[in-house]
Amino acid sequence: MSTFISGGCKNGKSFYAQRIAKAGGLPLYYIATMIPHDSEDDARILRHQKEREGWGFETLECGADILSCLEKADPAGFFLLDSVTALLSNEMFTAERMNPDAPGKIAGELVEFVKRAPRTVLVSDYIYSDANLYDEWTEAYRRGLARIDRALARACDDVLEVVHGQVIVHKGRVPL
Amino acid sequence: MILITGGSYQGKLDYAKARFALTDDDICIGKIDFDKKCLAYIDRYALEAVKSGLEPVDIFRANVDALRNKIIITTDISSGIVPMDPALRAWREACGRMNSYLASQADEVWRLFCGIPQRLK
Repeated sequence: MSTFISGGCKNGKSFYAQRIAKAGGLPLYYIATMIPHDSEDDARILRHQKEREGWGFETLECGADILSCLEKADPAGFFLLDSVTALLSNEMFTAERMNPDAPGKIAGELVEFVKRAPRTVLVSDYIYSDANLYDEWTEAYRRGLARIDRALARACDDVLEVVHGQVIVHKGRVPL
Repeated sequence: MILITGGSYQGKLDYAKARFALTDDDICIGKIDFDKKCLAYIDRYALEAVKSGLEPVDIFRANVDALRNKIIITTDISSGIVPMDPALRAWREACGRMNSYLASQADEVWRLFCGIPQRLK
């Protein structure tokens, strides 16, 4: 069963996703998408690694071209991809330029990923309800992430929103 | 009245078009045209209204009878940082009042999340 999870920041999405993945059994893969840019990122990664300690995850480092993960892993295993948001910023913003084709590329690759590795949990971020008029790049990023989210919501069996650690089911069922 | 809400890019207009078989001719975007079946993105209208010193909820209240058979699409902009720009701050609060009023008058309220509709009322 594939699961798509979104919601606000620090609401417990990653923790809930890890619990679903752990219940899925071995082999268990954690797809680390963040490419650290500064000491704040390093600290964030350390904190996440600590949180995953003892859960039995094998970490796959993959900041772009997500289908390449499947070359080093058993597609019948359980995958946790955290997060779609980081994956998009890695591929959309490189070397001072914006790649407008990144959302379409990633949406296609992630839908294909879920097809090939159907036991996957993906985590994204709900960044769509603020009262701001953004610059063109930021707006393209929000629109792009939403495009990927919607493609994944169609492709996945379960679609969940996590609010303060509580789960709203938008499609499918509560996996735990 | 049917109110469709949700964050940006969540599929609100796609949902309305599919469910009510709307054509582009049925829809007005970012303005109020009571001849149209669907008033889409009234949040954009609200921003223009606020900038002109008008209170959007008062305009909807005064025209509530004309809204009875409408499909209204609004973007929920209520859950982010308080903007630095005073006009955007006023817009954010005006949308909250406007959306709450419209939801109170609506027969159905739907929220779209990643393309998936959820009925709130």
